[in-house]
Parts: sequence; structure tokens; C-alpha cells
Amino acid sequence: MQSQPILRLRQVVKKFGNFTALHGVDLEIEEGEFFTIVGPSGSGKSTMIRLLVGMDELSEGEIWLRDKRIDQTPANLRPTCMVFQSLALFPHMSVGQNIEFPLKLRGAAPADRKARALELLDLLRLPQSYYQKRISECSGGEKQRVALARALAFDPEILFFDEPLSALDYRLRKTLEKELKSLHARTGKTFVYITHSLEEAMVMSDRIAIMREGRFEQISVADEIYGRPVSRFVAEFMGEVNLFDVEGTASDGLHGKGIEIHVNGDTRDFGISLEKGVTGTLMVRPEYVRFLTSSATADFIVRGILRAEYALGSRIQYEVETSAGQTLTVEKLREDRFCGNEGSAVILGFDAENVHLIRGT
Amino acid sequence: MNPSRSTRIALYVYGIATIFFLYVPLLSVGFASVSKARYLSFPIKRYSTKWYGDALQSETVRDLLVTSLKVAVIVTVISMVVAFFGALAFARYNWRYRTLFQKLILLPIFFPQTVLGLALLMWFNSVGIIPTWKTAIVAHLVWIAPIATLIVAIRAYSFDPALEEAARDMGASTMTILREITLPLLMPGIISAGLFAFLLSWGNFPLSLFTTGADSTLPEWLYAKMVSGYSPLVPTLGVMSVVGSFLLILLAFSLNWLIRSVRESRSAEN
Repeated sequence: MQSQPILRLRQVVKKFGNFTALHGVDLEIEEGEFFTIVGPSGSGKSTMIRLLVGMDELSEGEIWLRDKRIDQTPANLRPTCMVFQSLALFPHMSVGQNIEFPLKLRGAAPADRKARALELLDLLRLPQSYYQKRISECSGGEKQRVALARALAFDPEILFFDEPLSALDYRLRKTLEKELKSLHARTGKTFVYITHSLEEAMVMSDRIAIMREGRFEQISVADEIYGRPVSRFVAEFMGEVNLFDVEGTASDGLHGKGIEIHVNGDTRDFGISLEKGVTGTLMVRPEYVRFLTSSATADFIVRGILRAEYALGSRIQYEVETSAGQTLTVEKLREDRFCGNEGSAVILGFDAENVHLIRGT
Repeated sequence: MNPSRSTRIALYVYGIATIFFLYVPLLSVGFASVSKARYLSFPIKRYSTKWYGDALQSETVRDLLVTSLKVAVIVTVISMVVAFFGALAFARYNWRYRTLFQKLILLPIFFPQTVLGLALLMWFNSVGIIPTWKTAIVAHLVWIAPIATLIVAIRAYSFDPALEEAARDMGASTMTILREITLPLLMPGIISAGLFAFLLSWGNFPLSLFTTGADSTLPEWLYAKMVSGYSPLVPTLGVMSVVGSFLLILLAFSLNWLIRSVRESRSAEN
């Protein structure tokens, strides 16, 4: 039996004057899910979260929280809570007073409030002595944890996040991403997270929605979005990628400029065939591309010239210019480093099980 | 950063000029107030605190102080309230006539005070209001409330709107947000606005001259006595007025300090 989704959007439209920010969006989020909405700036993700929290009114459509329609309910009457991009910690209150704020609004007794605040400090791995601290005395990471504790004190049905990690440095962001994921597991709450960073989304989420120009382009688990994107936009948004324009041939095979196809067996078996005359995009991620020695073979072969090599830390990235004038990206682990001179001719190969075909262009 | 040689010289010149043009004249009033002579003359031959005693016993002086204080205190309180809401309209909320409001509010400040005072007097007369210290309050407010509003608005501009949104998101009503978030965060600005309002009203001469009618404030009396019938109480009252202002500044600082320590002790109790 499919359980009822905790949050359901039906044909949600948001217009600002003549500009339509959201074009009739549908969405279902499951109970206890870590759901991330990713998109470039201007894709409508911020508009989306403001509607979900209740800080803006939608133009058309419905938002349901379980079996209650909430789109006309103002933010202060919704049982959801958000961690803001700026964190919005109250500078005139101590850490403890910030965490207790939602409890105070509900008229909880001071002793109960304090007990809960100390519990939350423990949960967020902050020392209890922080209860007395001023917000200005906390570091960036500590402020994040205080903001989380305050949102959890509210005990929301859904916890929303509006890019709360975007202002932090790389290392701290990486640590907090993992902490958020573990916090999600420990609290069992539904998290809905907005970000422009694909890495952040991949590390933490159960499911990811890719937004583009006010619509969802694809909603799926991270592996699916990374390995089987529905469009060029998703493929390019989710990290480095190599794309080839291809066209179906009479025998249901593929033909592409500058790419030799030697698929062992029928391309249809791999789901990478097109009807005659139909165009598509063949995608392969850089880590699946091999440098071939003269004797080796592969399902797809591309010839080119090594143009550049970049050290990315644990991986090495190569740029290869193909005979068709296209630039391809190849990535190898440092231990599998390819030794070649810049300007030398190379042969690249990859296999049918690692490619994905996007129909249409 | 260490200032360059020329910057240092400029700073010295500036400091000396300040002392010379601001504090030395003030000191001369101070000396005059403790001179035993009935008329202003330097050097002072005999010193005495007689005029201070006289001033404290004089009924005229008491009336003057009471009138000035009444006007200044009421102007301060009203200015603080108006400035709080005015600053929200000025800096926080987007509404249709906001830019117009922002420009209009500056007008009274650019208006010469004498012209403003005259205009208000004529207006009071034409609507049949007899000028007293109460009409002076209105006149002071026309000029001072916009200044106070600007002072609070500066504070309101540096205010993250997400703070109010976060409070609302956690269930706070508009009134609660105002009481728990907006007001405490703007309070330092409101206190400085109050301080300015008091000092500007306390020392104001041109507006009072036109609009107090038969009543008289301290600056008005000082002027009147200089023009005709000099009183040795003039420098004495001048000094008392300055001392009053200083006491007020001290009060404002201790009030700020008090608010902070109350907040800290409250958070310690919880």
C-alpha cells in the first residue's frame, strides 16, 4: 500500500505581474523523505520554497499537507518551519532564547523550554554552556546548528531549508552536509531542501528535483538523475559530461559525427537505438571514458588530441579535442593516471552499458 | 592604519579649532556665570556663586525650566513613537507612495526654521488657536519628528527582513513580531532619536520664538535678556542649560547600558 504523501502540490502557478515564475507545478513528497530541489538562479526554486512556507501567495493551484489544504493558510499558522539562507537568528537574544522562541510563542513553561533547549543543544552537538552565549559569539558552523536547533524546537511537520550552507567555506559545508543527513536519519522528519549545488543535493537527498524556468525537469533519486538524465539541461547541470549529437539509421542503429560505433550485438538491447531520422544526444560521464592502447577495443571509439591535463586532487582531468572539433572531458583516479604528452594523438573508448541516450535535442 | 604626516597635521588643526571655537566660548560663559559683577566684563575681578543661588530661588527661572522641560519631554516622547512607525514606513515596507513619503519627510528639515515658525504662527492664528507652550510642541514636532524618523530609519535599513519572516514562520503574530523582534532591534536607534529630539527641542530658539505666545522657554528668555534688560542670570542659566543637556546624554547612555544588562540577566535566569 502506498502511504499518503505528506506534501502535495497540484498545478501550482505563481505570477509576478507579467512574469510567470512557476508554470503549473505538480509535486508529491513522501513522509520522512529528504527531498532536494536543485536549480540555477532564476529557476523558480526560491519562489517555490516561499510558497511552501507560506511567505508568498500562489496565483493558482493547491498545496496540501496530508489531507489539509494549506495554500491559503498564512505562514504563522502552518505547522512547518524553515531554516533561512541568512539563518535569521535574533541578534538581541542569547542562543538559548533563540532556540526557545517557538516554544515561548506556544506558552510553554520556562523550565520545560530550557530542558528542551538543552536537549536540542545535545542533539546538535553543541556544549550546554552555549545556552548563555550571544549569537555574535558563535562561529558560522555554530550559528547553523543554533538555527537548526531553533527550527527543531518548533517541531515542524516539514522542515524547509533555503540554501543555509551557501555562505560557508568548503570544508565546513562538507561537514555540515553529512551532519544534516545524519540529523535527518536521527529525527525521522521530512526535510525539503533548496540549493543550487548539485554536490550538496547528491550527498544528502533521498530524491532530487531539477528545476528549470519554473518547471520540474526531472524528479528522481540521485543515481538516476546523474546516470539517466531526461534532457541535455539535466545532464549538463549535474556535473561534467560528454554529449554527442546522434541520429537513428535505417537498421535502428546510431550514427554520430566523429564517433565510431562497434556495439557488440543490437544497440536496442542497451536502450540506445533511435528510429531512422530521429535525432538524440548520447551521454557519457568523464569517469567512464578510457584511454585505449592500440590493441584494445570498446563499443564506442573517438579519436582526438590530448590538449590539457588538470589535477583535481584525488582525480586527474583531461581535455581531448576530437577530430570533429569537439572537446571531451576524461577523468581518471590518480592511481590510474594516463601518461601522455599534450598535443599527442589519443584514442578514447567507452562501453554501451555506461552510455545514456537522450531522445530529441 | 597610521595616518600620514599631512593627515596628522590636519587632525591637530581640527582638534585645536574644535577646542578654540566650541569649548573656549563655553568656558567663558562658565566664567561669566561665577563673576560677581552685574555686567559681562573680562577679566573677572571677583568670583561668586551668588547668581546660582539666585537662579535656584527665582520663580521666573523655575517657570522657564518647567516650560522648556515640558515641551522637550513631550516632543521627545511623541517623536520616538512617530519615528518608530515612520522609520518602518520609510525603510522597511514597500508601499506605493514610499518614495514620495521619503522626500516629503525631508522638507521641514530644509525649511529655514524662522520661516517655518512664522508659517505655523500664521496658521495657528488663521484657525483661531492661541499660541502657548502647547502650540510650540506642535511646531517643534514638525521639525524634529522627521529628524528622529531619519535616525531610526538608518537603524531600520540595517535590519534583515528575514528576522521578521522567521518569527512569523515560527508562529508569531504581527503584534508579537513588533514587540519581540522589531522594537528591541530598533531600540538603540529609538533612544538616540529621543536624545536628539530632546536636545533639539531644549535648545530650540526660532520655532519657540514664533509659537510659544505668552509663554517663554529658556533660549527665548536668554535672547530677550540680551536684547533688553540684561540680567546677570543669563550666563548662569546658560551653564545650567548645558549641564542639563550633559546629564541627559549620561542618562541615555546609562539607559542603553541598563537595557543590555537586563537582557543579559534575563537570559541568565532562564
